[in-house]
Amino acid sequence: MVERQHQHRLVASRAFIPPLLAAGFFLLLVILASLLNGAGPVSAIDVLAALMGAGTEEALFVVTELRLPRTIIALITGMALGLAGAILQSMTRNPLAEPGLLGVSAGSGFFVALAILWGASTTTITAMVAQLGALAGCALVIAATRVQGLGNDPVRLVLAGATLTSLLMALTSMLMLMDQRAADEIRFWITGSVAGKSLSMLWATLPFILVGLALIAILARPLAAMALGEKAAVGLGHHPGQIRFLITITVALLVGSATALAGPLIFVGLVVPFIARAFSGPDIRKTLWLCVPIGPAVVLGADVVSRLIAAPAEMPLGVVTALIGAPVLLAIVRAGRMPSL
Amino acid sequence: MKRCAKAPKKNLRNSITALVLSVIGPGTLQADPRSVDTAYGPVPVYSQPERVVTLYEGALDTTLAVQANAVGAVITRGGSDVADYIKARAGDIPIVGAPAETNIEAVIAARPDLILAAPRTSEQQYQLLSRIAPVIVSDAPLFQPDSWEQQTRLFAKALGREDAAEQVIARVESRIAEVADLVQARIPEAQRDASLVRWMPQGPLVMSAGLFSASILQAVGFQIDNNNLVKEGRPHSEPLSLENLSRMDQTWVFLATLNEDGDKALTAARQSPAFSRLNAVENDRLITVNGQLWTSASGPLAVLAILDQIETAITARQL
Amino acid sequence: MSSQFTMPGTRNTLVNIALSVLMVLILFTSLSTGTVQVSLFDTMSALVGNADPMTDFVVNELRLSRVVAGLLSGAALAMAGCLMQTLARNRLATPGIIGIDNAATAFAVASVIGVGLSLAPSAMALAGAAAATAIAFGLAGANVTRGYRFIVAGIGIGAIAGAVTQVMLSRVAIDTANAAYPWTVGSLNARDSRSVLVLGIGVAAGYVTLMCLSRALNTLQFSDAVAIALGTRLRAIRVTGLGLSVMLTGLAVSVCGPVGLIALLAPELARALCRPGKIPLTAAALAGASFMLLADLLGRILLAPLEIPVGIITAIVGSPYLLWILLRPSPRSLT
Repeated sequence: MVERQHQHRLVASRAFIPPLLAAGFFLLLVILASLLNGAGPVSAIDVLAALMGAGTEEALFVVTELRLPRTIIALITGMALGLAGAILQSMTRNPLAEPGLLGVSAGSGFFVALAILWGASTTTITAMVAQLGALAGCALVIAATRVQGLGNDPVRLVLAGATLTSLLMALTSMLMLMDQRAADEIRFWITGSVAGKSLSMLWATLPFILVGLALIAILARPLAAMALGEKAAVGLGHHPGQIRFLITITVALLVGSATALAGPLIFVGLVVPFIARAFSGPDIRKTLWLCVPIGPAVVLGADVVSRLIAAPAEMPLGVVTALIGAPVLLAIVRAGRMPSL
Repeated sequence: MKRCAKAPKKNLRNSITALVLSVIGPGTLQADPRSVDTAYGPVPVYSQPERVVTLYEGALDTTLAVQANAVGAVITRGGSDVADYIKARAGDIPIVGAPAETNIEAVIAARPDLILAAPRTSEQQYQLLSRIAPVIVSDAPLFQPDSWEQQTRLFAKALGREDAAEQVIARVESRIAEVADLVQARIPEAQRDASLVRWMPQGPLVMSAGLFSASILQAVGFQIDNNNLVKEGRPHSEPLSLENLSRMDQTWVFLATLNEDGDKALTAARQSPAFSRLNAVENDRLITVNGQLWTSASGPLAVLAILDQIETAITARQL
Repeated sequence: MSSQFTMPGTRNTLVNIALSVLMVLILFTSLSTGTVQVSLFDTMSALVGNADPMTDFVVNELRLSRVVAGLLSGAALAMAGCLMQTLARNRLATPGIIGIDNAATAFAVASVIGVGLSLAPSAMALAGAAAATAIAFGLAGANVTRGYRFIVAGIGIGAIAGAVTQVMLSRVAIDTANAAYPWTVGSLNARDSRSVLVLGIGVAAGYVTLMCLSRALNTLQFSDAVAIALGTRLRAIRVTGLGLSVMLTGLAVSVCGPVGLIALLAPELARALCRPGKIPLTAAALAGASFMLLADLLGRILLAPLEIPVGIITAIVGSPYLLWILLRPSPRSLT
């Protein structure tokens, strides 16, 4: 009971509220930017007029039918990836443990490529396929961290993930070579994008995301206890094995859903918790709360950039997130924060 | 260096010629070589070649149209065999590579006595192929309304079947006139604007007005408008984002898909609200066509096939 | 100890001979395999200029240039990997893992599709390799021997370079991008004869230089203090070694694109076979050439008449091995 009150105070402490509000405000700005800007001829002023009810029918259509769905999908994707990264990093005590870097997204991507090869189309891919791939990838990662010595070696884990990713990418390339017709669809899909994705996919993945969020709500406290060390966690009445299992499921649910929605986006799960931790410190619950506005802001911001830099075409979102994320990776290395956490 | 390279060239060709001779028997080989003007200068060709390898879809089309014997072809773009429209005529023709990547060993294995190559074949590739058999690379300017006709005449000259080629071209021209009459009769002049688009998963590509099939549409009376989306000398625009879909909208939209069944891709496209808003879609003026034929092929047989499809599309619709 | 440095050691000589024989076997198999069947005997006669013109053309003109390109690039990548592992005292520090070949590819692709400077692909690939190495070392700080920063920095650099390559390819016509695809995954099919010539000169020069430096390089396996006591000029040898490694990687990439894991696998095999104590540069080069040829041969016959780019084969074959190294409970000498 005392423990619980203490934790509540932590969440509500003063130093934590301003960054949360600032991140929320920033997110609103990005959402506005996303609705106002696109690769097409509908300008920000047209959109504002349309929102006031005085614009052209074209502008209203572009905003409600094209920009709004992708904005929503980017928001959900960003939140799911950010949270998944945060809990995976907390559990493995490795600030580089990012689902994309560790091969979870690539596992998901490989399964989807297989499904396309076997006759599915980008629009008929069920969320289940991506979930399955993510689960397989995630289970591999968690199993790897359990290998003696590896859990304490962030670099080896990341390198193993990078190797797994390149292996899966090579296999995906093989699939593309074997079927030229499927190649275009697969190539489009594996670069990651939120453009033109229908909201029906969102409805298909929403249950999984909600279960994932609920699990996070349940797991936040045990995770914080685990951060004190496994013995401390056991002392506080938690079961580390059980928690690890649940976290594996949670990460798979979130990453699988995000991948089903937008394709594999690497580095998001690295950048979001990295920014969040800069404000929250090591407390996982604060970090998780901050990830809720920061994750969507990062993905949506990247999407706005992807629309603007190549107009009238669009840059794949996955390329933009890599360009944003890789320097953050370098910054983490440079800061020498690696062994901590 | 140059001389060293030349010496085995003759030998290799002679040995292949000898192989061919052993198959077809000595015939009209005594005739003097004819000189064919190509992008890489005049090329001597003996009599009527009997084993032709075509490294370009337009060349396969012409070869079959003039009833010469093709013994090797490249796959169509995005497929794994020759294009569907020509499959029945081509039969089980051996595949010797993709448009961008020729398997030279497969060309050798086909034992050709003439190679018809793609326009823009690189000098390096040309030199390599010339060691196997005479190589014809068209020097006709690309993206012109009569590019295919010039190429057909050139290939036919190399094949020694110019008369057959003239007959086919005459047939094509009369068909063009027929379809042009139909267009004139059924579509008011103000409604003949059209665009040709290739549907890709990452977005539609608006094709150049100089493209082969676009020039046929123009020949029968449509006005192709690509809204300045296609840069000079490029075959198509960059993929349009969904927000810019309206820029490909005209009264008529000819939508090509490389997928085996264009309907599936179209069904997917129709789910996108941006797509169903197009005027051409709302007015049932969207015509789905086979991308292998419309955006990859070339040659007289392809023109005839395309004309048939235009005719069917117009007659099937309430105008 | 000194005998270890001066005596070549019969075991190492035997290993080198065995690897050479293996390489020659793969080489002849490569030369005689393809759409046009050529018997081993005819291949031999063609090589000595005694075959009919068709066989001569297929073997000497078509296959030999590809095989030579594979031989040289495999040897170059393996030597570069072996060298960098020694310099960083970390067996994971190979050009592929620290992002050098991705950067070289990005620069070379830029040159191929005509972005920016109109330098030849070889020169651009060299510039890319040098830039990536400089950044990786800059970020890792002065102390290169502490491996983790170096490697993670490399993953980041590789990711950036990969993204930049994608951006460039998405800016050119789709058909051009499709044509550039084998190049981005590593393939011996897109080789350019001038780049192969430059690579050949580079490999020869690099090998000779390394043989001259081998004594000094061998001392790098000990601590800095020991190496200095043995008379090694550490700074000079590190700069030279790194320069050679960057040059070999850049030149190899300009021929075959980013073929991963050869730089890791070949030195691994060489070290496992050779006597410990010496850096097995020759054995690594031979093993690298053999790996490259074998992977290319597999890529040509597995899905024939389609061709699998050699980079995909090395990734599928090599990745499980790298994973095994990484996931083994107690690695021998990781960092």
